[in-house]
Amino acid sequence: MHVRQAGGDAAVIDIQGDVTAASEPVLMSAYEQADRQGARRLVLNFRGLEYMNSGGIGMLVTFLIRANRHNQKLAAFGLSDHYREIFELTRLDEAITIYDDEQSALSDAAS
Amino acid sequence: MTSVARPAPRRLASFALPSVPGNERIALAQVAEAVAGLGLSPGRLDKLKTAVAEATMNAIEHGNDSRAELPVRVEVFQSGTEVIVTVTDLGGRGVDGVPEDRAEVPDLDRKLNGEQDSRGWGLFLIRHMVDAMHITTQGDRHTVRLMMRIGSQDTRAGED
Repeated sequence: MHVRQAGGDAAVIDIQGDVTAASEPVLMSAYEQADRQGARRLVLNFRGLEYMNSGGIGMLVTFLIRANRHNQKLAAFGLSDHYREIFELTRLDEAITIYDDEQSALSDAAS
Repeated sequence: MTSVARPAPRRLASFALPSVPGNERIALAQVAEAVAGLGLSPGRLDKLKTAVAEATMNAIEHGNDSRAELPVRVEVFQSGTEVIVTVTDLGGRGVDGVPEDRAEVPDLDRKLNGEQDSRGWGLFLIRHMVDAMHITTQGDRHTVRLMMRIGSQDTRAGED
């Protein structure tokens, strides 16, 4: 996973491959990097996602709890229809704003 | 009253996997290969794959305690307009590590408030991915049966 500053107070975390319970150290490390950079808005880029399971959803909940504690907002883009539906089923979409693309996510984050 | 005989289920695949975490990816790939050509839409196939992966992962981790020597058996059938996948472990301990009838329904608000563990989405996902789910335990054999109708556009959350 790669963290990049995206202007203003936003950071984009590029997710690659799998999101499972085993991804937790990598994703939390990316979170800490973004947090150290002072990001107030964290944008998860799921374009490179290959597979996500229930363990990965649980890990995203943990990620969300951390962001909430630090008053950081979470957004996401690049989800396939299938994973977007899973976000809706689990109601993660109510806590993580979903956008169609990076530009939309960042322009809204900047507003 | 005239009864219409249902065709006998046709077995499309049958395989066993060692109970090693990660092998659920093999299960979903083999099931996807077995049902190719049956007419499931890409979206429905994604749902079936997720349900199979979750059921297999639970069988590996919770049913068989990730003991590699214990197999998880996966069978795929076509019965009329239904695809049926059974996933069997030898632990009989339910999904997400607890018996299904006592499994807590995951609630995001409660999880965010620390009232529920962040995890525990497996059974919830399975139920919402397929048209029906049925669970049986016979001795040590614990089987999750997943059913998806071919040609349906909507997935109904439910349990037999």
